[in-house]
Amino acid sequence: MRLRPVLPFALCGLVLPGAPAAAGELGIEAHGGYFAMSASNSARAVFDGSSGGGTFGGGARYVFGPGIFVAAGARTFSKTGERVFVANATSPVQKLGFPLEIRITPIFGTVGYRFFQGRKLVPYLGVGGGVTRFRETSDVAGDAREDSRSKGTFHALAGVEFGAGSFRVGAEGSWASAPDAVGVGGVSRVFNEDDLGGFSVVGKLVFSFEL
Amino acid sequence: MPRLGRALVLASLPLVAAGSWTLRAGGQDDPRPAFVASDAGTYAVRPAPPRARVRPGELIVAFRGAADGRTVERALRQAGIPAARRGRVGARYLATVDEQVGLERSLERLRSMDEVDYAEPNGLVRKSVPATFTPNDPRFNIQWNFSLVGAERMWGIQKGSSGVAVAVLDTGIAFEDYADPRTGQQFRRALDWEGTEFLPGFDFVNNDSHANDDEFHGTHVASTVAQATNNSLSFAGLAFDCALMPVKVLDGDGFGTFFDVAEGIDYAANFSEGGERPVKVINLSLGGESSSEDVRRAVDRAFANGVVVVAAAGNEDKGSIDFPAALPNVIAVGAVDALKLRAPYSNRGPELSVVAPGGNCDRNDSGNAFGADCVWQQGPHPEFVFLGRYDVFISLGLEGTSMASPHVAALAALLVSQGITDPRSVRAAIEQTAERLGGAPAGGRNDEYGHGLIQPAKALSGLGFNQDQF
Repeated sequence: MRLRPVLPFALCGLVLPGAPAAAGELGIEAHGGYFAMSASNSARAVFDGSSGGGTFGGGARYVFGPGIFVAAGARTFSKTGERVFVANATSPVQKLGFPLEIRITPIFGTVGYRFFQGRKLVPYLGVGGGVTRFRETSDVAGDAREDSRSKGTFHALAGVEFGAGSFRVGAEGSWASAPDAVGVGGVSRVFNEDDLGGFSVVGKLVFSFEL
Repeated sequence: MPRLGRALVLASLPLVAAGSWTLRAGGQDDPRPAFVASDAGTYAVRPAPPRARVRPGELIVAFRGAADGRTVERALRQAGIPAARRGRVGARYLATVDEQVGLERSLERLRSMDEVDYAEPNGLVRKSVPATFTPNDPRFNIQWNFSLVGAERMWGIQKGSSGVAVAVLDTGIAFEDYADPRTGQQFRRALDWEGTEFLPGFDFVNNDSHANDDEFHGTHVASTVAQATNNSLSFAGLAFDCALMPVKVLDGDGFGTFFDVAEGIDYAANFSEGGERPVKVINLSLGGESSSEDVRRAVDRAFANGVVVVAAAGNEDKGSIDFPAALPNVIAVGAVDALKLRAPYSNRGPELSVVAPGGNCDRNDSGNAFGADCVWQQGPHPEFVFLGRYDVFISLGLEGTSMASPHVAALAALLVSQGITDPRSVRAAIEQTAERLGGAPAGGRNDEYGHGLIQPAKALSGLGFNQDQF
């Protein structure tokens, strides 16, 4: 895992004084939404002109009494496209028709703070890190190749949860970065894009209970 | 004045007539007999014997859900199966058949039983392998040059598209049966064009629409591009599903003018059929030391129209590239031998783009049965051509950058067929994927080999998100 110096300072800032004391709360979450890749030129080249697609996943979080929470989870993004040829970053993208599939699976941990914990509407912020696994498979006339790699990642997120009782809904936006994960070959090298992160917007279903 | 490339000719195994003999041209423009080779005989590509598709004596038998152990045991016994192993899931069994009953009879009995869901031989599978295509043309095994560039794997990916045409600007192509009313010359279509599509060409030397070959160079060059393939006859061509356009700009002695070359380029690049311009590649196996603004502008016009122009680097073993190969919008092609070494005649220079097999008829490093590492294709019989006859064809061996250039032109046509239509991208795909030779660094080039030896399959495979060509 690769954490940058900004992270400890951010965590310090999140520990707000004066939060009301409460019992711990465990939540199980399911996520579904949209992921837009930072390597947008590369993604647009091999996909259907878009740089993102659906993502889903899940996780668990534990809220300490004052509103501080820790969370862990995983999401996956998978999309099919085709191999292309691009001579350089300004050249036209020439589609070749050989199938290609990319799967990006970040596994992450988050620490953060939930404001107004205990109310119906709970905004929250968090930062964290983890590992992103990347797998690319393609097939050129029976010659199938797979490239997989894992890289440390860090992220920041903001969200809001709504509801009372055990079942809640929420929405969350996050930004993640996994530098030096790609860019060693293919169109990501042509476009000089090495970050496997991006922006995600997901809806959440939460089942929570007090411990 | 543009002229033919080095023309060292070996001829054997006539396709139509004459015995077994060989011609050799010692100089650039003056082919003359040099030695005689023995008849090389007939060579057939034998297919490998078929492998068994099932494991002998074994059946897979699945019973319907209601069948209990006793029912299964009785059914197997009745089918002549003394032993069976149950699978991990469901009532599936791998059954060993009694040899005396036989697999077919056991299978028949099982399939007639109500309690049997299905029964089938235990088939064999094999690892998935990259697609390749081995043509059945009997002299394909002589074409060491196609093996050198990985043609079989290339054909597994792409064989060309009839909507993509290569214009061969040369001495013409033996593409039609035609009696010239002006000269009385009888031209005949070469035998191995079965299924090959020819677009209407033009003869700029004689100013008519019959661009027939009154030499042998153009037919040989065109045959490397798209000789009929997998038709159990003669040799193969690299982009055999692409169309050809014969454009005659060189006379029967192999000479032409810049004006005619420029005319030929414009004709090919602007040829329209059904609202489409099918000529995507122009091959120029010709060149000279002087330059021409007229030709340069014609090349630039073709390039702007999306046409890839490929030309021979020249055969003088000198440190400069011939014109028009040296033009920036032309892919200049040098030659290597069967050992991937620069052919002793191939020109060098900073404009050299790539190299391809051009042959060395003085050697037989490939060990081919014709005894010389020429580039072998069909062609008019040179001795009959000297006599003014254009109706006898043979297996013709030539060497020169003229022979290397059509390898690259064919690759360009295949790339266009695959979807790389921009001429700059075609060139980049060819150069980036070439095998570096002569100590050139990865991603670099040198003046002897340019970016290196073309690797068609790699060029065709394109790029993934984070995967290079493979």
